[in-house]
Amino acid sequence: MLKIENLHASVDGKKILKGINLTVKPGEVHAIMGPNGSGKSTLSNVIAGRDGYEVTAGSISFHGQDLLAMEPEERAWAGVFLAFQYPVEIPGVNNVYLLKAGLNARRKHQGLEELDAMEFMQLVREKAKLVELDQAFLSRGVNEGFSGGEKKRNEIFQMAVLEPSLAILDETDSGLDIDALRVVAGGVNKLRAADRAVVMVTHYQRLLDYIEPDLVHVLVDGRILKTGDRKLALELEKRGYDWVREEAHA
Amino acid sequence: MPKLAEFRKGAWGAFEQAGLPTTRQEEWKYTSLARISSTLGETWWTAAEPTGLTTDDIDALAIPDLDAWRIVFADGRLVSSASSLPAGAALTPLSELLATNGEQAVKALAWDADAPLFNGALAANSALAEDGVCLCLADGVKLDKPIYVLHIASQSGASHLRHGLWLGKEACAHVIEHYAGVNEEPGLTHAVTLVHLGDAAQLTHDRLQDESLKQFHLGRLDVWQGRDSNFTSHAIALGASLARLDIAVDLAGPGAACKLDGLYMPTGRQHSDHHTQIDHRAPHCTSREHYRGVLDDRAHGVFNGKVVVHKGASGTDSAQKNANLLLSDKAEIDAKPELVIHHDDVKAAHGCTIGQLDDKQLFYLKSRGISAEEARQMLTFAFADEVLTGISLPALRRFIEKAAFSKLPFGTDAEAMLG
Repeated sequence: MLKIENLHASVDGKKILKGINLTVKPGEVHAIMGPNGSGKSTLSNVIAGRDGYEVTAGSISFHGQDLLAMEPEERAWAGVFLAFQYPVEIPGVNNVYLLKAGLNARRKHQGLEELDAMEFMQLVREKAKLVELDQAFLSRGVNEGFSGGEKKRNEIFQMAVLEPSLAILDETDSGLDIDALRVVAGGVNKLRAADRAVVMVTHYQRLLDYIEPDLVHVLVDGRILKTGDRKLALELEKRGYDWVREEAHA
Repeated sequence: MPKLAEFRKGAWGAFEQAGLPTTRQEEWKYTSLARISSTLGETWWTAAEPTGLTTDDIDALAIPDLDAWRIVFADGRLVSSASSLPAGAALTPLSELLATNGEQAVKALAWDADAPLFNGALAANSALAEDGVCLCLADGVKLDKPIYVLHIASQSGASHLRHGLWLGKEACAHVIEHYAGVNEEPGLTHAVTLVHLGDAAQLTHDRLQDESLKQFHLGRLDVWQGRDSNFTSHAIALGASLARLDIAVDLAGPGAACKLDGLYMPTGRQHSDHHTQIDHRAPHCTSREHYRGVLDDRAHGVFNGKVVVHKGASGTDSAQKNANLLLSDKAEIDAKPELVIHHDDVKAAHGCTIGQLDDKQLFYLKSRGISAEEARQMLTFAFADEVLTGISLPALRRFIEKAAFSKLPFGTDAEAMLG
C-alpha cells in the first residue's frame, strides 16, 4: 500500500532524510524507532504533506498513486492519517464540526453520500467510547484547553472516525501517563484491521508493550539501518542505538 | 426665543466653530471625513426625504425571531406603523419630545464640549437630530423584553439620530441598535446615543452596523456610569464605505464595571474606525475591552483604545485586547492601545496583535481532509466569532454570525458551518 523509495528530504536546506526505503502492506503494524534528531518526525510530516519539507530525491507511492504530488487534504481523502506529536489547539472550531467536514469531504471525493447530522452523531458517540473520550469534549473547540493526554486521545478518536487505510502515529506515546497510554494504545489496537496499516514513530519501546508491531525499523541519521521484529526493540532498549550505527558502518 | 430653538442655534454655532474633525487632529489622523462633503456636497447634512419603504420592505431587513420591542427609523424618522412601543411611558420618540416638550428635548439633545473624544459632529447632531429613542426607566424597573431599534437608510441624504437611555437606580435594560441600508445612492447616518446609568443599573447594548456600501456612518456612544452599575457593549461593524464609531465610557461611581467587545470586518475599499475611551474616575471600577478585526482586500481599519486611570481611582482593574487578522497584503490596520495612568495601585493590561492565519492550524485542518479554502474560512470565522460568543440573544448572535460569514471571501456554506 505504501512504498517509499530512496527518499531524501531537507528542512531549511539541512539534509534530514538521506535515502529511506520502506514498504508497508495492508494489515501490518510498523514501528520506526530512533534517537532524537534521526528524522522520525520529518518522515511523518513528509508523508502527511506538511509545508517546509523539501523532498530532494526519491518517491512515495500510496495505493499506486504518487503521494508527493498530492495536497495534504487529497492525501487525507486517499486514506492517509497523521496523529500529530503536538496536536494544535484551534479555539472556535468545533471538534465535531471539523470531523464532519473532513469525513464528508472524503466521502464526497469517493463518490459516497454525505452523512447527515443524525448518522454522524451516532458514529461519533460510538467511536468516542473506543478511546473513553468524554462526550463533553466533542462540542469543545479542537483541542482547546485539553491536557496532553486528552489531545492524544482526541487524535486516536479522530482516526477512529475518519477510518484511514494508513495511520501514522507520530510519538503518540510521548507525554502520556500510564493510564492514558493504555487507553490510547487500546484504541489503536481496536482499530487494527486487515485493510489498515499503522506506522508508529516512537522514541520509546514502552509503546510496543501495548501495540505489538510486525516489523521494527531503526532510523538513524536519516536512514533505516536495521529492520527486525519485536525483539529488535527490546535489544534497542537494552543497548541503545550506537551498536546499530557501528554495525552499519562496519 | 423658545428654549429648544435657542439651544439648537447654540449647538449649530458650536458646530460651525469646531467644524468636522480633520486629519490634523490626533484622534482623526487615519480617518478623513473630507469624502463626506466631496461626495454629498457642501450641505452634506441635508436630511433625506421621507421614506418610501413599506412594512414588508422593513420586515425583510429586520432580524428574524427576535422577541423584542421593535422601533423602526427609516431615513432618520420613526415609522410608527412598523414599531411597537413598550407599554407605559418609559419610551418616547425624540420627534414627539421635540414637538411637545422643549425642556425634555433639550435634555435629550445635550452636548458637552468637554466630553472625551468630543468633536464638532456631536454638536451638529444636537442641532440637527430629528428623531430617536428616549428611554427613561424609573428606579428598579426591569424591561421585560429587549428594545430593538432598527435604522434603515433607503436613499441619499442624511439621517441624524439621537438616542438617550436613562436608567434609574437598579433599573435593567437590553437595547439593540441595528443599522441597515438598501440605498444605492450615497448617504450619511449620523447617530449618537447617550447613556446614563444610575446606581447598580445594568445595560446591555448591542450595536450592529451593516449598512450599504454607499453609506457613510458616523456613530457615537457616550456612557456615564454610577456606583456599581454595569454596562456591556458589543459593537459590530460590517457595512458602510466609511464608518467611524466613538465610544466614551465614564466610570464615575465606585464599583462600576464595563465590558466593551467589538468586531470590524472591512473588505474591498471599506474604511472602519473605532475609537474608545474608558475613564476610570472612581475607585474599584473594572473595565474589559476586546476588539477584533478581520481585514481583506484594500480595506483600512483603525482601532484606538484609550484607558485613563484618574487620580484617586484606587483598585482599578482594566484589561484591553485588540487582535487583527490581515487576509490580504494590501489591507491595512492602524491599531493603538493607550494607557494613561495617574494613580498607583492599579491593575491595567493591554495587548495588541496583528497577524495572518496560523500555518500549523491550517495544516492540521487540511490533514483531516478539509480543503485549503474551507480551512481558511473556518479559521477566519473562528477568529471573528470569539468576540460574538458573548452576545446573549441566540437569534441576534446567529444573525450577526451569518452577516459576518457572508463577508468572508472563501464562499463556503455558512449554514453548514454554523450547524
